[in-house]
Amino acid sequence: MNEEVSKPKYVGAMPEDEPRIGVYVCHCGSNIAGVIPPAEVVDFAGSLPGVVHAAETMYACADSGQRLIKEDIKKHGLNRVVVSACSVRMHEPTFRACVAEAGLNPFLMEMANIREQCTWAHGHDREGALEKAKDLTAAAVAKASFLTPLDMINVPVTKKALVIGGGVAGISAALDLAEQKIPVTLVEKQPTIGGVMAQLNKTFPTMDCSI
Amino acid sequence: MVDAARQPLIEVKAYTEVEKVEGFVGNFKVTLREKAKYVRADRCNGCAACANACPVEVPNYFEMNLAPRKAAYVPMSQSVPLIYNIDMDACIHCYKCVEACGALEAIDFSMEDKVTEEDIGAIVVATGFGHFDPTPMTEYGYGRFPNVITAMEMERLNNSAGATHGLVIRPSDNNRPQKLAIINCVGSRDKRYNPSCSNFCCMYAIKNALLLKQMNPDMDISIYYIDIRTPSKGYEEFYDRAREAGIKFIQGRPAEITEDPDSHQLFIKSEDITLGRVIEHEYDLVMLNQAAVPQPDQDHMSSVLNVAQSPGGWFMEYHPKLRPIDSPTDGIFFAGACQGPKDIPASVAQGSAAASRASRILHSDTWQIEPTVAVVWSDRCVSGKGQACGICERACPYGAIDYTKGISAEVITAKCHGCGACVGECPHDAITQLHYTDAQVLAQIRTLLAVEPEKKILAFRCQWCSYGGADLAGTSHFEYSANERGLRVMCSARMDADLIYEAYRLGAGAILYSGCHPQDCHYITGQIVGAKRAARLEKMFARLGMSPGRFRTEWISAAEGDKYARVINEMQAALDAIPEDQLKAEIDRLKPEMEKKLTKLNEIPGVEEAMIQVDFIVKDLLNKAVPV
Repeated sequence: MNEEVSKPKYVGAMPEDEPRIGVYVCHCGSNIAGVIPPAEVVDFAGSLPGVVHAAETMYACADSGQRLIKEDIKKHGLNRVVVSACSVRMHEPTFRACVAEAGLNPFLMEMANIREQCTWAHGHDREGALEKAKDLTAAAVAKASFLTPLDMINVPVTKKALVIGGGVAGISAALDLAEQKIPVTLVEKQPTIGGVMAQLNKTFPTMDCSI
Repeated sequence: MVDAARQPLIEVKAYTEVEKVEGFVGNFKVTLREKAKYVRADRCNGCAACANACPVEVPNYFEMNLAPRKAAYVPMSQSVPLIYNIDMDACIHCYKCVEACGALEAIDFSMEDKVTEEDIGAIVVATGFGHFDPTPMTEYGYGRFPNVITAMEMERLNNSAGATHGLVIRPSDNNRPQKLAIINCVGSRDKRYNPSCSNFCCMYAIKNALLLKQMNPDMDISIYYIDIRTPSKGYEEFYDRAREAGIKFIQGRPAEITEDPDSHQLFIKSEDITLGRVIEHEYDLVMLNQAAVPQPDQDHMSSVLNVAQSPGGWFMEYHPKLRPIDSPTDGIFFAGACQGPKDIPASVAQGSAAASRASRILHSDTWQIEPTVAVVWSDRCVSGKGQACGICERACPYGAIDYTKGISAEVITAKCHGCGACVGECPHDAITQLHYTDAQVLAQIRTLLAVEPEKKILAFRCQWCSYGGADLAGTSHFEYSANERGLRVMCSARMDADLIYEAYRLGAGAILYSGCHPQDCHYITGQIVGAKRAARLEKMFARLGMSPGRFRTEWISAAEGDKYARVINEMQAALDAIPEDQLKAEIDRLKPEMEKKLTKLNEIPGVEEAMIQVDFIVKDLLNKAVPV
């Protein structure tokens, strides 16, 4: 198994290039801009060491927002990107793909969560929210300064599925997989598959039989 | 069911439990226990001769224990696979089944559980739901009054293949009921048991009422409800049909059922909201429409699969809107009610969705995983210099560290999941984690604490749980102190003591050390490594005279937004309670202690260089903080 997995390339502790960071502060409509003025975060971030360009954007994740980032990477020769917007759980993959399309390694992008973890939680304290948004952006800039390019690791795939539970959902999943020529092991803890559905007498709203 | 059994690419393993799931996307190793049936699958033809000969009768779970089965049994005549089982707990070893089976010789008392390992690329979890047991709701008398039955019992009574061949009878006297009540939301939308809505029971009540009405047009049927919820296609029309058919809908949650002990007639006392008064009616039979609850073994499955649970115990999806099918673990997907109550159309749709999510992986020759793995700086590893160590190997939840005394430890990339436990534990700073290097995290800490650090609550959070908890606090608009400054690593195991020391050296007001609950850990035992370290740190800071509340350890799931907000607010209150001069004195006293612990920090590759650059950022922040 190990031989087939690509190793991470040796990575130096420090990046080899001087950071040229672009910072994008998202309004997210009024989700962020309704609590703090993004322009102030842009002014603040624009002069941070390593930052060569900072801009606000209505929706960073929208086509127009992504296009702006991609164009700026070329126009300003950006080698790091900071997106101050929402949660990494929401859009980290989006912005990684965005910078990759502009030729940047996807791991040279860092996000600051100024929505879920700032404006949405601190609507009662706008001044505090603004200070926090600046700090989170600065911290993302600081981390971005030391980001190094990384390559995704390729792992082999065993072309077989396990479905746990032989109720209606599991049966449906198993059939769909098998019809795509994927072998499936369907595991059921009871002596028969069928789950709760098999116990039912007719089903709504069409009153057809359950088995 | 039959389609699944017929499909040549599906191997149905019934009466089988999943014991262990190891590995990672594309490369899971799954241990299955096929429980002994004492009937050989390759010989049994499902003829039922063994069951007919068996003299032992026990209640059949499939019939909600309303009908018996034999010790040699299948749960129902249409079982898939149609292979008989001998229930060894009930069997009296009379061997009449062996005799009845005759020349087939399918019955084999020497069979044992079979434990097998399978290599699997992707997993669909479709473990379903359980039924709320209404016994604790003593006001409804289930278990005491024979004519109070559950919805699932009604299903089996009203089913032509069921215990009574479809004849609905009163358990007390076997008479046909003429007046029937169905009570909705039994154990759901009830803060004592389950605050949530069970999703499909309104429709389910209507279905049962309509079926009974069709079979028995004279039957008087009432449904007691809080709200009727019919949001899907064709559902409202179905509700209309029920009203047109003469089924009565009474808005009100019954307070109590009483029984005449002689006739076993039932009396429901309830508010009728539309009439605006309390009503009491007599019924022959009452059906409690019980809540859908997580499977009794859902907690166990959660730890086998290493997937977290939402409040209420359901499996927790990666993202409630954008990735409802994905578990937080790449390659594991949810379908159906194990993720939350769902009706049949939704469960079938989710089964297809999960198959589609899984097939993206299963149709690929290789799959990409994040390179945020650990790497050893071999020139710093003491093992390479001949010293015994192996701390990293012991910290790793995956056995991903190759450690032999005398040789520098090495990370086996394929096995590394990138939790950072080895990085956090290595006492010689000889391991780093890509994308979460010491230089990168220290840069964030110094920046976040550049200005007025004594006012800040620095919150270390793990990617999977407490970061998600902080997200949910925001999504739910639970307000908390804006002095909090969050920092993300993959697991609490990565929260190196050095990082905490550095934050206090810089004068942090308070630090939250947070991660997942132990059973939810994305990295099996990463949280345990983090928790042990946090406990050590807590003791040390107490010894150094730190005020309580300035260092706090909390385990917060991605579903606990309220907890995250509460913890931060409590920390802010604790910080506010410390007089300013006392806090300053504490910080000043702690600083040299922390410096002593950090003398070797600059030796970590990259840190010294990085910190020179970070100082420019810090200076800039301090300049900007000066009021103009």
